[in-house]
Amino acid sequence: MISYILRRVVISVFLLIGIGIVSFIVIQLPPGDFASRYKQYLLAQAGMTEADAERQAQIVRERYDLDKPKAVQFYLWIKGMVTEGKFGFSFAYRKDVGEIIADRMPKTIMLALLCHLVSSVVGIGLGIIVAPKKYGFLDNVTAVLSFLFTSIPRFSIALAILYVLVFTFKQPSIVSFFSPEYVFAPWSWAKFVNMLEHIWPVIVIAGLGGVARNLRVMRGNLLDVLNSQFVTTARSKGLKEGQVMVRHAVPNALHPILAYQGTVLPYMMQGELEAAIVLNLPTMGPLFFESLASQDIYIAGSILLMYGVLIVMGNLISDLALAALDPRIRYT
Amino acid sequence: MSESTSLSMTEIQAELEHNEGYFELVWRRFRRSTASIIGGLMVIILVTLAMFSEFFSVGPTNQIDLNEAFIPPQTVRFFDSKGQFHLVPFVYKLENTIDLKTFRVTWVENEEVMYKLKFLAHTWEYELFGLIKTDLHLIGVEEGGTLYMLGTDKLGRDLFGKASEAGRVSLTMSLFGTIISIAVGSVMGIASGYYGGGIDNALQRFVEFVNAFPQLPLWMALASVVPKTADAFTVFVIMSMIFALLSWTTLAREVRGKVLALRETDFVMAAKEMGASDARIIFRHLYPNTLSHIIVILTLTVPGVILAESFLSYLGIGIQEPLISWGLLMRNAQNIQTLDQQVWILSPVVFIVLAVLGFNFLGDGLRDAADPYAAK
Repeated sequence: MISYILRRVVISVFLLIGIGIVSFIVIQLPPGDFASRYKQYLLAQAGMTEADAERQAQIVRERYDLDKPKAVQFYLWIKGMVTEGKFGFSFAYRKDVGEIIADRMPKTIMLALLCHLVSSVVGIGLGIIVAPKKYGFLDNVTAVLSFLFTSIPRFSIALAILYVLVFTFKQPSIVSFFSPEYVFAPWSWAKFVNMLEHIWPVIVIAGLGGVARNLRVMRGNLLDVLNSQFVTTARSKGLKEGQVMVRHAVPNALHPILAYQGTVLPYMMQGELEAAIVLNLPTMGPLFFESLASQDIYIAGSILLMYGVLIVMGNLISDLALAALDPRIRYT
Repeated sequence: MSESTSLSMTEIQAELEHNEGYFELVWRRFRRSTASIIGGLMVIILVTLAMFSEFFSVGPTNQIDLNEAFIPPQTVRFFDSKGQFHLVPFVYKLENTIDLKTFRVTWVENEEVMYKLKFLAHTWEYELFGLIKTDLHLIGVEEGGTLYMLGTDKLGRDLFGKASEAGRVSLTMSLFGTIISIAVGSVMGIASGYYGGGIDNALQRFVEFVNAFPQLPLWMALASVVPKTADAFTVFVIMSMIFALLSWTTLAREVRGKVLALRETDFVMAAKEMGASDARIIFRHLYPNTLSHIIVILTLTVPGVILAESFLSYLGIGIQEPLISWGLLMRNAQNIQTLDQQVWILSPVVFIVLAVLGFNFLGDGLRDAADPYAAK
């Protein structure tokens, strides 16, 4: 078991290094660097001569190690991240990327986890309700709905919700986590409720698809389990149907769901990304999109890497949890 | 007694004569499921709309007329304002009024003037497939009238005609991207399953590595790198490649599993014993047998690409003008004011949902039908 955990962790570390390299290559793809754009700016706006501007650009290059070879830049980037918690310099915000991300990352993770929680609880719950009455009314309704919610582009659901909130209910301050009066208030129940009032669209949008997926998987598992012999045995012993479900069917159908969480997490995060960009909530999503547009490479690269870290960690946790809960898993 | 024998003889005869092939069996199983038939119909409708978009479009598809901007969807009527029934459907004339305080333009129907609709009308000229010159359209309006079934956008373009036309890029791009990913995925899968050992191990680790990537953020990062100045065709190809880059892994895994099973079957063993080369076994025996799975995965990969493409184009980092895609048509909805006053510019979303649902249903049906010899 311990060697299995160790091996999984080592593999994850290698995965992360690979993701880091690819993130770095991707953000370096556009021609030119920040210094050359700074030079353009000096030439056009500050009225400097070509030589002066070039000298200034050179100073910027030296200051932020932009003159070093790419491999060295990558090494410095990773080294700064691991040893000092520095993620590189944001040229647009004029501060360390780590600070900017530290402000938004917890919100992103919180949103993703809330989505996850909601979609798991609702999805699994609905699956349990629906499965015993296969092709019943409720089963068909949820089937149609889950097909629909995985087919409608999430950004358009976000737009629709935005439209209703703004123009039908005239709700102010939808693009933040709190109403103005709560922003600096200490945490309290009222503040929490206020936050939920602001972020439910994201949870609904990102969560709906997750509910649909969890529902389908849970229903399928449960149908398989309900047809197996130990369930028939349990019934023939005279157990009530409710007891059969709670004691035998549901626990056995839950394992595959756990393994499936590894693929649901990226789906949720992408949903959060899409919804947050449309609603412009201050999470990592809109920041990522802005930094891509303004070629603020260290922000874009760091966020790309952070998404990779979250997904790899999610997979790792779900694998380990599965191994701990399901004795049938082979540690290979 | 003799009668029943002769009857069963003819039955046997009939059975001998009619030998159902693989595709007949697939079709027989496929059509049993209503959902997959509906899915197939949805896809066919969208493809037809895209191919013959000029034929289905009422007004010129390349019309840009700022006087016609942001017209709400028009209703086709059978009953006029006095409640009288007309056998030929008609539309009322649209007139605009400007609120002098806000300069907001509102369109109202003038119930005095009505224009009859004509079917299979000869109106504006176009070239079908860029080859055949014609002016035949499914629906036409009497001279002077307009019919915008889904309204118009900022540039006065008919959204229905444009959305039909946008299907060309949206559908071909997702199909093209998927085909690239299928090509990569099937080669990887077959190599992995057939050769096994070190190659299999290396390829499977690589698949895991690609799977660990955050798909949408990476797509966004790559799409924003595509230079804005590149010509339309280059953008199209690069975008398809980007989508292919991360979508081939599912197929590689499925094909590998299938090939692993096939490798031990008698007919592959026999071919090997007879001295067939690896290439012959792969292309004559393994590839055709995995083809049905490949087609299934193809139909199930397309929806994901359509959704991603529409989001990227909506953000403005996907398809660029002059190409037009469903997501790009909704770009103006980014402006909250536009969204307030012109909600109908979200209507291309119907096409996206139809395409995604259609391909999903089709893929599900095909998956059940692809293996008709299995007992069900």
